[in-house]
Amino acid sequence: MVQITLNGQTVEASAGRRLVEVIKEQGVAITNLCYIDGLDPYAGCRTCIVDVVGARPTPLQLACVTQVADGMVVNTETAEVKRTRQSVMSLILANHPDRCLTCHRRVHCMPGDICLRDDVVTHRCLTCSKNYRCELQTSCEIVDQGDFEEPWVGEPRSYYETPPPEPDRGNPFLEYDPQMCILCTRCVRACDDLRHTGAVTLSGKGHRTMIAFGTGGSIHESDCNFCGACIDVCPTATLMEKPNKWVGRADDWTNSACNSCAVGCTISYGVADDRPVIVRPDRLNPFSRDQICVRGRFGYVAVAERERLTRSLVRAGQRLLPATFDQALTTAVDALTAVKSAHGADAIAVLGSPLATNEEAYLLARLARAIGTPHVDFSHGMVHRAVADAMRAAFSTDRVPATLTDLEQAQTVVVAALDVEDSHQVVSVRLKDAVIKRKAQVVIVSPKWTALDRWAAAIVRVAPGQEAAALQGLADGGSAPAGVDAAAWARALNVVSRGKGASAAVVYAPNGADGAARAGAAATAAANLAIALRGAEAGSAFHYLPTDANVLGIADMGIAPGAGGKSFPEIIEAAQRGEVKALVIHADNPLLNAPGRTAIEAALQGLQALVVIDSLRSTTAEYATAVLAAAPFFATDGTITNADRRVLHQRSAQRARGQQSDGVAILAALANRLGDREAPSGFTEAHEALAAATGYPTMAQVDGAPAQVRALVATSTTAKPQPAPAPTPAHSGLTLATGRSLYTSWDAASIHSDDADKLHREEAVWLNPRDAEAAGVRTGDVVDLTDGIASVRIAVKLDDGVAAGTAYVPHYYDGGALMALLPLGGAGASTAALRVRALQPA
Amino acid sequence: MPLETEARAQIRALVAEFRPEHGDLLAAMHSVQHHLGYLSSEAMEVIAEQLGLFPAEVYGAASFYEEFRFTPPAQTNIRWCSGPACRLKNGGGIRDAILATLGLHDIPGDTEDGRAGVILGQCNGACELAPMVWLEQPSTHRIEFVGNLNAARAVRMARALRDGATIEASIEETKRA
Ligand code: SF4
Ligand code: SF4
Ligand code: SF4
Ligand code: SF4
Ligand code: FES
Ligand code: FES
Repeated sequence: MVQITLNGQTVEASAGRRLVEVIKEQGVAITNLCYIDGLDPYAGCRTCIVDVVGARPTPLQLACVTQVADGMVVNTETAEVKRTRQSVMSLILANHPDRCLTCHRRVHCMPGDICLRDDVVTHRCLTCSKNYRCELQTSCEIVDQGDFEEPWVGEPRSYYETPPPEPDRGNPFLEYDPQMCILCTRCVRACDDLRHTGAVTLSGKGHRTMIAFGTGGSIHESDCNFCGACIDVCPTATLMEKPNKWVGRADDWTNSACNSCAVGCTISYGVADDRPVIVRPDRLNPFSRDQICVRGRFGYVAVAERERLTRSLVRAGQRLLPATFDQALTTAVDALTAVKSAHGADAIAVLGSPLATNEEAYLLARLARAIGTPHVDFSHGMVHRAVADAMRAAFSTDRVPATLTDLEQAQTVVVAALDVEDSHQVVSVRLKDAVIKRKAQVVIVSPKWTALDRWAAAIVRVAPGQEAAALQGLADGGSAPAGVDAAAWARALNVVSRGKGASAAVVYAPNGADGAARAGAAATAAANLAIALRGAEAGSAFHYLPTDANVLGIADMGIAPGAGGKSFPEIIEAAQRGEVKALVIHADNPLLNAPGRTAIEAALQGLQALVVIDSLRSTTAEYATAVLAAAPFFATDGTITNADRRVLHQRSAQRARGQQSDGVAILAALANRLGDREAPSGFTEAHEALAAATGYPTMAQVDGAPAQVRALVATSTTAKPQPAPAPTPAHSGLTLATGRSLYTSWDAASIHSDDADKLHREEAVWLNPRDAEAAGVRTGDVVDLTDGIASVRIAVKLDDGVAAGTAYVPHYYDGGALMALLPLGGAGASTAALRVRALQPA
Repeated sequence: MPLETEARAQIRALVAEFRPEHGDLLAAMHSVQHHLGYLSSEAMEVIAEQLGLFPAEVYGAASFYEEFRFTPPAQTNIRWCSGPACRLKNGGGIRDAILATLGLHDIPGDTEDGRAGVILGQCNGACELAPMVWLEQPSTHRIEFVGNLNAARAVRMARALRDGATIEASIEETKRA
C-alpha cells in the first residue's frame, strides 16, 4: 500500500493499480466509458482524463492507464480537466442521438411532446430503452456537458446525416441497435477477455466502423451464447436484453441465486411493479463473480406468466378444473388418506425435485414421515447416490472439501462431462480463464464436441458408456480404450502424468439419464484418477457437478429412500404392479426428466391418487388428482446448496400471484393435515427446523457471509483407490448420449411449451458422419430413432465432433421425448442399441 | 463442431500453409479470395480454425480492408481508380457515369444479375492513362486496363458490360467514335 493525494485527501492504494479504479472506490464520480474493471485499459474514449501533478509530457493523464505510485497527487475537478473531458465528450456525442444529454429540460419532456429545441420528441434519450439507466447519460451529467458550448449549433451533425444502421432483433435474448453505439469496444473485450467466446468484433473502418457479430451476419449465426456479459458492460442502449427491454428500469434489486445448474451463480433481480424485469450477476458467489450464463439471465422469463398456475386444480372425470387452495388441499388429503387406510402408508410414495429449496425438501421429507412412507426419492436420485457412494468409498465422505474456487488455481484439470459448457457454463468460463491466464492444461473426456474443446490440451472422445474405462485408463496410465484415437490418448496420458501433484483436479458431471450403474462406474474411475493425481489430498480435488441446482441440498434434507424404502425406478415399477397407489410429486416432472418414459406414463395412469405441487401445469400434472399451485422459483424464498456446498439464499423477487402459495406453506399444510401438527409453515421457521435437524448453517450465518458458508463439509478425507469398474460391453448399434442443453429451461421444457428450445440450435440428433453414411442419412433428413420398441422422430445433424457410435440428442428435446428410448433407471450396461431409420420422403 | 464438407476441405487446402501467430492472417484471406473470389462465412471460419482465431477476429480484420468482399464477385469488375491524377482528370465524373449506367449507388456495388460490379482502385502508377479503370474477371484472374476515358466512353463500356458483353467487346465499345 502506498499513499496518494486525491482531490486534497490522502488515500491508501496499492501501487500499480489502475488509478481509475481507486478513484471510483473513493466515491469520486469519474467518467470512464471504455474501461472495464479488472481488464487492461483500452484507452479509447479519453473521458477519464485527470490531472496528475508533475506528470509528463502533460499533467492531463488517462486515469485508466495511469498506475498508482507513491506520493502521486491527483485532481479530478480542475477547470482544465473539466473542459478537456467536456470536449472529449462532445466528440463522442457527435455521432449519437444526443440532444437530451445536454438539455436541462429533459425531466419535463415525454415522448411525443414538443421539444424545446426542435420539434416532436421521437428519438434520443426520451424514447430510448436505456433512458435513466444509461452510463453515457450519467457520464454527461458528471462532466456537466450541458455547460459546454454546443458545437452543433448551426452545423450539420453526422448522426442526422446518415440513415441509422439496421438493428438485429433476430434472436430471443440479445438486441443490437447500432445507432446508439459509441464504439467503446467494451463488448468486444467482455466477450474476448471475460468470456473467451470472441463473438463480437469491431468491423469496418472510419465512419463505417461498427460492432459486428461472428463473420458479419446475425447474432444467432455467430458463436454468441447469449451470456449477456456484453450487455452488462455496454454503456449505451446498443446491446440490451430483449425480454423487458423497455421496462427494465428496476426500482429495487433483490439478491438471489440462479437455480438452473449446480454452480449456483449469485444473481440480482431488478424488480419493477412487483416482478423481476432484469437480471445482473451478483458478485457474492466467489466462483461465479461477475459472470452468469443465458439460463441465469433469462430463466425468469422462460415461461410466460400466463402459463403459470395461479389456481389449484382438482380432477373432475377427464378434466382438471380450477379450485380454491382449500378444496384442492382437501381433495389431496382425502385421496391420500383413502389410499393409506385401504392399503397402508406403504402404498404411497413421495417424489421431490432437485430444483426445490432446502426448506421445501425438508418439509417434503417431513410430509413423507407424516404419511409414514419410506418411499422417497427424486427422478435422478439413483444417479446422485451412485456418485455419492463412489465418493464415500474413495474419500470416506461424499461431502468433500473441494471447492470450485480451487479449480481456478488448478494447473491440470480432467473434465469428465458430456458438455460442461452447456451444463455448467460458468465452470467452462473459469477453465478457459485458467488456460489463457495460467496456461492450465485441460483434458476433456466426452462423447461429443464442446465449446471448451479449443482450449483443451487433450480430448478423449469416447463412446457413451466408455467414460469410466477412459478415466480408469488415465489413472492407470493404461492403453487407449476401444475407439479412442491413439494420438489423443497419448497426449492425454502425457498431460495427466506431468500434472500429478498439488495443482491437479478432476471435474465430474454425470447426466441424469446415464443411470446409476454408468454414473457410479464413471465416478469411481474419476475418483481413482483424482487419487492418482493428488494422492492423499484427492478429496480436495474432486469436483462433483450435479446437473441440477439443489441435488446436494435435497439429499441432505432426506429426499432419499428411508429404511426399506423404494428408489425412483422401484416406485415406478411398484406403481405399475399396483403396489404403489398414490404419489406425491413436488416440482418435478418425471416424464421430462427420467428415463423409462413409457413405464412412467403407465405408472402415472394407474395411480389412484396423484398429488402434484408445482407452479406449472406440467405434463405430469395432467395425470393428477389434485394440483396445488405453487409460486415459481423467483417468487420463492429459500436456500439452495450448490456443487460447492455453499448455502445460497434464493430470495423472492415478486409476490405470489392469484392463489399461488409458497411451496413451504403448501407442503406444511399437507403435512399438517396428514398428522404432522408441528410442521413449520414459513421459510424462516422451516430453515430453523432444518438447521437444527441436519446441522445446516442458520440463516443468520447464511446471510451474515453470503455465499461463503458451506454446509456439512467433511474436515478430513481419505484416499482409497477402488477396483477398476467393470468395462461396459460395446455393441454394434448407436448409443444415446443425452444431457443438459444450454438454451432450454426446465420450466419451459416441463410444460412442453413451443418455445422451449428457444434457439433451435440443437433440436436434432447429432451423428458422426461415418454412422450417418452407414445409415444412409444426411443433415436435415428426418429419421426415426428407435430401440426397436419406442421411437422418436427427429432431424439429423452430422457432426464431426460426435464419437463414432454415438447419437447425441439434448435431454429436453421435445419435452423429454427421448426418455422413451431409455429403460427405467437409465442407460445401463445392457442398454439396447439404437438404430436410425430413415423415413421415406413424404 | 462443423462438418468437414468438401467445400471446407477445399478452403482448408488453400490456407494449409498458414500458421497461428505468424502474421499469416492477411495472406490467408488473400489466398481464399484469390481462388474463390470472396470470403464466405465458412471461409472465415476455416481461416479462424487454421490460425487459432475466432471467426469474428477474421471478419474484423477483413472488413477493415476495401479489397476483401463477403459476397461472390460479379462476372466482371470495373475497378475504378481513385488516385489523384485520375481524379484531376474527371475520375469522379467517370465514376458517376459508370454507377448511373449500372444503376448503382455506391462503390462497392454489383448489378442485381451479377454481371458487372464496381470496386475501388488505387493509383498503380499508370497515371499517363488517367482517367482509367481496370476490367477484371475474378474467375480467370484476367485484368485489362482501359485508359483515357471520358464520360461517353465510360458509359458505352458500362452499358456493354451491363448487357453481358465480354471484356474485349466492352473495350471495343470504348474505341468506337
Ligand atoms: S443510449 Fe443513453 S445517451 Fe444514448 S439515447 Fe439512449 S439513454 Fe440517451
Ligand atoms: S452475449 Fe456473451 S457470448 Fe454473446 S456477444 Fe455478448 S458477451 Fe459474447
Ligand atoms: S455496443 Fe455498447 S459496449 Fe459495444 S462498442 Fe458499442 S457502446 Fe460500446
Ligand atoms: S452457470 Fe449455472 S448457476 Fe450459473 S447462471 Fe448458468 S445455469 Fe445458472
Ligand atoms: S476509460 Fe480511460 S480512456 Fe476510456
Ligand atoms: S491516379 Fe489513377 S492511375 Fe494514378
